[in-house]
Order: sequence, then C-alpha cells, then structure tokens
Amino acid sequence: MITIVDYGMGNLGSIMNMFKYIGVPAVATNDQDKISGAEKLLLPGVGAFDAAMLRINDSGLCPLLDRKVLEERTPVLGICLGMQLLTRSSEEGKMPGLGWISAVTKRFPATPGLKVPHMGWNVVAPTRESPLTRGLPEEARFYFVHSYYVQVDNEEDSILKTTHGIAFDAAIQHGNIYGAQFHPEKSHKFGMQLLENFARL
Amino acid sequence: MLRTRIIPALLLRNESLVKTLRFGKFTYVGDPCNTVRIFNELEVDELLFLDISATREGRSPNLKVLADIANECFMPLGYGGGIRSLSDAKAVFDIGFEKVAINSFAEEEPRIISELASHYGSQAVIASIDVKKNFWGHYQVRTCGGKHNVRRNPVEWARELESLGAGEILLTSIDREGTWDGFDVELVKSVADAVSIPVIAHGGAGRVEHIGEVVQQGGASAVALGSMVVFQKKGMGVLVNFPDERELRMALYSSV
Amino acid sequence: MLLDKTLQDIRIKVCSRCIYDERVDGIAFDEQGICNYCHMVDNLAKQYGTGEKTGEAILNRIVQEIKRAGRGKQYDCVIGVSGGTDSSYLVYLAKEWGLRPLAVHYDNTWNSAIATQNIRKVLSALDVDLYTYVIDNRESDDIFRSFFLAGVAEIEAATDLALAEVTYLAAWKYGVKYVLEGHSFVTEGISPLGRNYFDGKYIESVHRIYGKRPMKTYPLMTFSRFMWWSTVAKIRKIRPYWYISYSKEDARAFLERKYGWQYYGGHHLENRMTSFLHGIYLPEKFSRDFRNNTLSALVRNGKMSREAAWAEYNTPPNVESDLLAYFKKRLELSDVEYERIMNEPPKSWQDFATYKKRFEHLRPLFYMLAKGHLVPMSFYLKYCFPIKV
Repeated sequence: MITIVDYGMGNLGSIMNMFKYIGVPAVATNDQDKISGAEKLLLPGVGAFDAAMLRINDSGLCPLLDRKVLEERTPVLGICLGMQLLTRSSEEGKMPGLGWISAVTKRFPATPGLKVPHMGWNVVAPTRESPLTRGLPEEARFYFVHSYYVQVDNEEDSILKTTHGIAFDAAIQHGNIYGAQFHPEKSHKFGMQLLENFARL
Repeated sequence: MLRTRIIPALLLRNESLVKTLRFGKFTYVGDPCNTVRIFNELEVDELLFLDISATREGRSPNLKVLADIANECFMPLGYGGGIRSLSDAKAVFDIGFEKVAINSFAEEEPRIISELASHYGSQAVIASIDVKKNFWGHYQVRTCGGKHNVRRNPVEWARELESLGAGEILLTSIDREGTWDGFDVELVKSVADAVSIPVIAHGGAGRVEHIGEVVQQGGASAVALGSMVVFQKKGMGVLVNFPDERELRMALYSSV
Repeated sequence: MLLDKTLQDIRIKVCSRCIYDERVDGIAFDEQGICNYCHMVDNLAKQYGTGEKTGEAILNRIVQEIKRAGRGKQYDCVIGVSGGTDSSYLVYLAKEWGLRPLAVHYDNTWNSAIATQNIRKVLSALDVDLYTYVIDNRESDDIFRSFFLAGVAEIEAATDLALAEVTYLAAWKYGVKYVLEGHSFVTEGISPLGRNYFDGKYIESVHRIYGKRPMKTYPLMTFSRFMWWSTVAKIRKIRPYWYISYSKEDARAFLERKYGWQYYGGHHLENRMTSFLHGIYLPEKFSRDFRNNTLSALVRNGKMSREAAWAEYNTPPNVESDLLAYFKKRLELSDVEYERIMNEPPKSWQDFATYKKRFEHLRPLFYMLAKGHLVPMSFYLKYCFPIKV
C-alpha cells in the first residue's frame, strides 16, 4: 500500500490512476493516523517551492514525516517538486526544504538557446544501480516539466542523470529516500516500471 | 537531449472528435476515450485536446468528457477551449490535465495569462494563436475559431503573451490546417525567433519531412499533428495512427 | 449453459460430425446423427466447387470480369476491412490476383488499437487506399444502448448492417461494381437460421422505441436502398473463400510474418463491442455461445478433434479485465441499471417490426439475385425462408 501525502498541491488523480492500472493499492491522505501507519510514502508536488513548504508546515505533518522517514526509515519517493522539497533549500524560494537529502535546488542558468522550463521527454542515463530503476531499458525516457533542478552534494546519491544545457540529477536516492524529477505518472510504460519497482521495495 | 515533442492535436466538437479543413468543414473521427486508448497503446508523448465549439457557443469546458479522457491517459495532457477564468482552468487541472491553452479569451482579457501563470506556473499555460493571411498576404491573428480578425500581428502578440507569463505558444496556421501541404515555416520562424519560450507548430503537416522542416528551419520546439494522425492519407479514410519512430528520428535529427 | 467437458458423458444430442448440439436453433439430425448444418456446408461446397479445380476456375473467371469492368477506374473492387484475419488476407490475395482494391472500414468508434494498427500495417505494405465511414460516437452509443435496453441479442446488428451499406457507398462513390467479402462457410460454418438477425427495419424499430438521439450519421440500409444497390446499381458481392481452399491458421501465420500483423487471440479484441457481445452479453444473458460456429468448422475440416472442440466450447471465454467497466462508462449505465437489464427476460427480433415477411414473399426474386451474385447466397438461405421456431 502506497500512502500519498496530500498537502494540497500536486495532481494526485493521475498518480492514483497509474497505481490502479498496475494493480498497486494506493491512498491519498493528510490524516496523521494513516500516515503514521504507512508502509511507503509518496510525496507529490506541482507548483512553487515556498507555497509547498508553507502548506506542509501548516498541515502539521512535518514532525510525523521526519520521524517516519528519518527514524523509521519508511521508503519515500518525492516526485517533481516533491523531489525538490527533499533538499535543504531552493533558489526558487526563501523557505528551507525538508532537508532529508544532502542537496540543493537551483535554477537553470540563463543560456542563449536554452528554453526554460525544461519541458518534454528526455532520455535518462543511470549513474549507478538502484532498486528504483531496475528493469528500465537503455533508452528510458521520462516526461519532465520544471524550471529548477536538484544538485546532490554527494555523487553517490545520484541514480539517474539527464541533460538540459547542463547535466543534472533526474533521480536520486539516499537509503530509503528516493526522488524523481520527472513525472512517472505521465511517462507511460517507463513510469509504470518505476512505480512498480517502488511498490516492490 | 530533449526530444522534439510530436503532439496529436485532437479536436472536440460536442463530445465527438472531428477534423476540420481550414477551420471549416469537419469530418467525424470518433470517440475521444477510445481514441485516447489507442494513443496510449501507441505510446505517444503528449496529447492536446481542443474544443472547437466551446468558445463559439459561449460555454465552458465539458468536464465530463475531459474526466473520461483523463482517466484513460498516462501521458501529459493539454486542453483548450472555452477557458475564461481561473476557476474554469482549475476544474480542468483538477481532472488531471497538465496544461491549458487560452486563445480567444487572452485577447479579451490578457491578464488571465498572468493569473494562470502565477498560480500554476508558466509551464501549465499555453497561449494559442490562430493566424490567417489577409488579402494582402499579411499575417493576422484571429479568434473565435477564426471568425474575428483582431488586427494584431502574430509576432507582436506572441511577445506580449510571453511577457504576460505564457509557458509556450501554440501557433496554428488557419490557411494550412487540414491541407497536408506542410507547415507555414516562415510564420513559425518569425515567431520562434521573437520569443524564448517554446513554439508548437500546428497546421499543415502531411509528411514526416514537414516535421523535420519546421523544426530545423522554422525553429519549432514541438509539433502538433492533426490530419496526419487521424487519416490514413490525404483525402482518404479515418484511421488513428502515429508516425513511425525511425522515420521521425531521421526527419528530425538528420543534419540540414 | 456450460456442460461437462467430456463428450461421452453428455445427455444431450450432439452432431456426430461437428459439435452443434440440440440447443442450436433450427437444427435437425439425420439417421447417422449428422446435423443439417453439416449438410448445408457440404452442399455449398459442392455448389461452389470449394477448393477444387472447378471452384478455382469460377473464381478466376470472376476476377477477369472484375478487371474488365474496372478498366479506366481508380479501383476495380472494394473490400471491407476490420483488421481481422479474413479481410486482411483477402486484401493480400486481391493484390496477388492483380486487382486494384479500395479498402473500406466502418468505424463504430469502439475499435481497439490492434485493429487500427493491423489495418494500417497491411494497407501500407500493400499500398492500398482506405475509405472509412465514422459514425458520430454519441449516435453509435445511443443505438447500442437501444439494443441493450430492448433486451435483444443483436447488439451488433447496427454495425453489421452499416458495414454492408458503407461498402456499397464506397463502391458507388468510385464507380466500382464488385465487393469482395472475406466470409468463408468452411472456416466459420453456417450460422443457424434466426441467429444474429439484422435488417434496416429491425434497427429502426428498436431505435424508435429505445433511442434518444435522432439517427443523423448512421448509414441505415432501408429496404429500398438494399433493392437499389442490388437491382439498379447492380453491385455484385463475391466471396472468394467460397471457391478456393482457405485456412485461417495459415493466413494468420502469413500475416504475422509478412506484415507484423497481430492476432487478437480469438477473443474479438479488435472491437470492444464485439468483445462484449461474445464474451459477456451472449453467454450471460442468452446462454448463447457462438464459439461453436468456428469450433464446428475446425472439426469438420479435420483441424480439431470433436472431443477437444467440445471441451473448449465448455470452458468460459476470456475477457479483457476492464471491458465491462468501459462498456458501462460509454453507455452511461450505472451498475444497478446494468444488472437490472441483464436480468430482464431476453427478447427476440421477432418481437419487433422487421422486413422478414417481405424477404420471404420475394423469395424468387432473391433467388435470382443470389444466382447473379447481387445478394449473398447465405442471405437467401437465411432470410427468405420462414423460421421454424
């Protein structure tokens, strides 16, 4: 059972649909008890960094989430903005992030000819092996849509890389903490493989 | 490297999918849900649905049809047609669409673009521009399904929409639509050169080579296909399809 | 409805040659226990010289005639395609024979990706043009819904008749005088009289009572249109598989190898409505299972043993997992409504106004037309004789 943290931002419908299609039970909630009992967590996110952190803080879920993730080591997957929230800060905003992974979120450099946001399907390459990316074909591609990217402090936390002007981390992992900058729920068979892997951890 | 997006643009008219010729005569193409299922299986990158009757009839998006479509789809979805307020857009996003396209209403109330962009992010806002050549051969922007000539130049209008916060421009050539004769590369280039946001070329694709042309010479970041994905060939029967991957790669990535 | 899978242990009478049993409409057994449908197939084979030199010679003459009649025109024949084995292979054969076919497809808006892909692959490899008629999806759903609400078995009647009308329309548009059909009585058997009845009046009658949307885009073949096509436009219908030997299995293997064509697995996955009809609707509401058509044919042709065919016939059919949900969603039926209608006693086409009596009265005329290939012989045999109920 995947417990999707519903803090009011992010398109949960599509994520739920894909889980349903691949036969993985999932529930979206902001209820303390349900989150407390979660086997696996998913942190969605679409929109602005500060707006998201404000909502999470206001929801009162932070201490619970910190405990689940950092102490109980519940596997958690952050998607798109959700992955950026895992970092300690973002150039998009002023608020601190959750800080679960040693990383920062930066804006794409203004380069002539480089269109921002990075939007569309892009090919990813594995930095190292990870249970999240098992079974993905060589030319796996995913759907990205973001104006900021994540840079991990330690290279071993990077599991997939892609390029848009610069090379950056498309997916990261630190122990039980996972992040995907792209949208698996919009990346048809590639996304399904990834979410299945997460469900099977 | 980012793949050039090839996006089937499907036209909705009162809950049925249709295809038009130069924004005029239409042909039935089929059922929206069933067609989405087919594109799912063909693993296309993205879909765009445009309701061509909404603005004309003065109504807002048909949420029921959109919900049916969204829960069949595992790729990014965009929708345009009859969006005139933040709440209209919110309803569409809540259903599961990634992006909304605003056309006629942006001309009436340009601040809708900035409002949507600040609320949902530029990447969720497509500014849609329909263009037709006038008697003297000058490009002019038209709204309401091509009926109103709003006396604007597409390049200037595109710049203005970009400054308002649009994330990308859907540029449709009314003259070329449904003709299979190729995109209006000149038009696309003039707009793509003037803005830094992605331009989606739409209207006129007939062969894979046309796609290569408009991307390499016109500077389009993405391409929307209409007739090509719903008909077997020009002048022939309806058959939902998508260009072959290898042919696309050759057309797009071979050097000019 | 499903019985014991072992033939020996059955109490009901089963044909000694195929697996049609006493539950089949209009069946009769001779002294050797062979059913009248086997005899019908034998008679047709004799009449048409199926798979013999005589049959091939007849077909050859017809093909030459088609070429002659089509000279100077863009196409010389029209072939209805569905993405299925028979029609796909027929397009290949037509090209082999040197004909210039136009492929025709009637899209009831419930096609699956496999069907459209198969059509595309075969037609583009053979360089054959396609004419499609697409009905407004809401009208299509309204007609399906009417038949479902009416409680009759022929929920696909509208599709079958529309394909016939659309094929005529395409032939007419391009001045073509010949339609090739992929029907084979050898591989499909003869469907019993009274099974799967369809005519224009039937569709109209059901729709008038249960339909909500006016029929604007549905291509209805009324009696007068039927007469017009066959007696004035004189468009002839040829069924090549009635003359030559044809093996569905070999055709399938060929298509897969040559065009990357895909088989649906015998579960009618090419069109979701057909899939619903055969996988859910007929078995559950009417205790009917038409799989014995093709299974009996396989037995008759020595491709399957009677025992194996009977065992398969009495195994529940496979169905796409979300097919029922899709069906209800498209036709806007709640779970409650769906159950209620499924549980209502089934009705028959005989409860509605049809052209049946008229067909019977005009039997001599239709006999002539059938002889001249202007209407299919199977139409004559099934529709022009009174039904023994």
